[in-house]
Amino acid sequence: MVNPGKRMNILKTKVALTRKRTILPPEISRLHMDFALRWNDGHMGPRKFWKTCLPRLKFWNPAVPMIINRSSNNAGPATLSIYFRQAAAAAAAPTTPAGSAPKVNFVTPLAQQPHSSTTNECPAPLPEEGERVVTIEMKHQHSDAILQEFLQKTGATVLQPSPDELNEMRQAEDLKDRAAIDRSIMKKYIDDKRAEERLLARAREEAEAIRLANQ
Amino acid sequence: MASTSQFLASLARLSISSAPRPAASSIPRFLAPSVTTQIRCASGGTAQMQARQREKEKLKKKRRQQRFKEYKYAVPSGKGEQFSLCDAMRYLRAAEVGRPPSSVTYEVALKVRTIKNGPVIRNRIRFPYPVKNDTRIGVICAEGSNAMHDARTGGAVAFGEQSMFDLIKANANNLPFNRLICHADSVSALNKAGLGRVLGPKGLMPSLKTNTITKSVKTMMHEMVGAETYREKIGVIRIPIGNIQFSPKQLSENVKTFIESIKADISRMEDRVDKDIIEVVLTSTNGPGFTLNGGFLPTDEKVDPAHLATAM
Repeated sequence: MVNPGKRMNILKTKVALTRKRTILPPEISRLHMDFALRWNDGHMGPRKFWKTCLPRLKFWNPAVPMIINRSSNNAGPATLSIYFRQAAAAAAAPTTPAGSAPKVNFVTPLAQQPHSSTTNECPAPLPEEGERVVTIEMKHQHSDAILQEFLQKTGATVLQPSPDELNEMRQAEDLKDRAAIDRSIMKKYIDDKRAEERLLARAREEAEAIRLANQ
Repeated sequence: MASTSQFLASLARLSISSAPRPAASSIPRFLAPSVTTQIRCASGGTAQMQARQREKEKLKKKRRQQRFKEYKYAVPSGKGEQFSLCDAMRYLRAAEVGRPPSSVTYEVALKVRTIKNGPVIRNRIRFPYPVKNDTRIGVICAEGSNAMHDARTGGAVAFGEQSMFDLIKANANNLPFNRLICHADSVSALNKAGLGRVLGPKGLMPSLKTNTITKSVKTMMHEMVGAETYREKIGVIRIPIGNIQFSPKQLSENVKTFIESIKADISRMEDRVDKDIIEVVLTSTNGPGFTLNGGFLPTDEKVDPAHLATAM
């Protein structure tokens, strides 16, 4: 098994990524993203948004289904659909503290609900009764720009991390810096070794040449 | 004179083998000159004797070391953080967001403290909530026998004897089943059919070693549906334990069943083997590994366990 210390370091850097609290308002029932499998033709932004921002959103809003439907069609659109519950439906839902989506879809069985796919199986579903959809065009956009627009359109609250969490994040950063220093030390050592080997090889070649010339 | 000294030497050797060797200083040298030669012989000896001695010592040392050889990190470090099941699931679901649920599973890695050259844990387990249920079983049994009836009622996709052999030969690359079991009475027919070349590379060839030859087709099929095999490799047992869409309740039941089964396996082994479970790590196909602390509820009271079972 992996060295426990090493494993813990990897884990801490990954967990630290989830520390910037981004809490969606309870009206949001689900998210749906639609983009291509490969990054050409402006599909890099959505891909990066998925890789860098979505895990954090999912961590702080575990109840909100976040579906990603990818296809091999790079010419197609890249859209992010946000499904809002209408006010009536939101009021009907039992009130829970902010930060957790109050209503979980228990009505349809899981197997029949849309799920993430890499073969274009689940395109963005039509809004249910009492739902409205807001879309974001993600094509040719940077992931930061997408996040900006997303936060503005959803009205999500981004909370400042607590001192403990800040400390954790700083430790993860330190670890990264330390790793860079260690890497450079190691690189210097290897480079020196290789240079020495090269010198020796050249000297040996010359000696061989001299020996052959003398014969 | 030479012959007498030789004779004396052999006598001395005899006396040494029966009685403890007399100290060299206790006997005056002039009385037994042969004894001194004997001592030199025992301490130095011929090159062969020395080599043999060295070999023996090496063996001894080796035996002594092996008894304590364990895998690295076999002892709990105590430094690492531990997580409750719901917390670990929350992190893993965040790590797996946007992946097709059919291609993502929760996995468990169980670290076991064990010696390197001892027996390994190896068994098959049926989970209360099967991870995947795409098991399609083919049964080789005599036509019209009781076993064939069992196979039909048990839901086998293909069964029979000669008809099965023909089917396997006809479409070797597109078999309708992914598990193959054989009734004990049909083994000779199977061996005669010469299907080892077709089935062997696919790992489907029924054999006693893989526990796929049986007298009771019914129980074997029941065992196989949704069953997973596991095996200890370099001190760790890894097994997929749940679909990413499982609820915390389902997952915890699976984990419990798994650990109970491992404990039963360990207790069933001979008593000179002592293995113990050190660490239970929950991970997922693309996620990091979280050491479990045995708790269930999330630390964040805003999160309901039901929230961790939504569509992915």
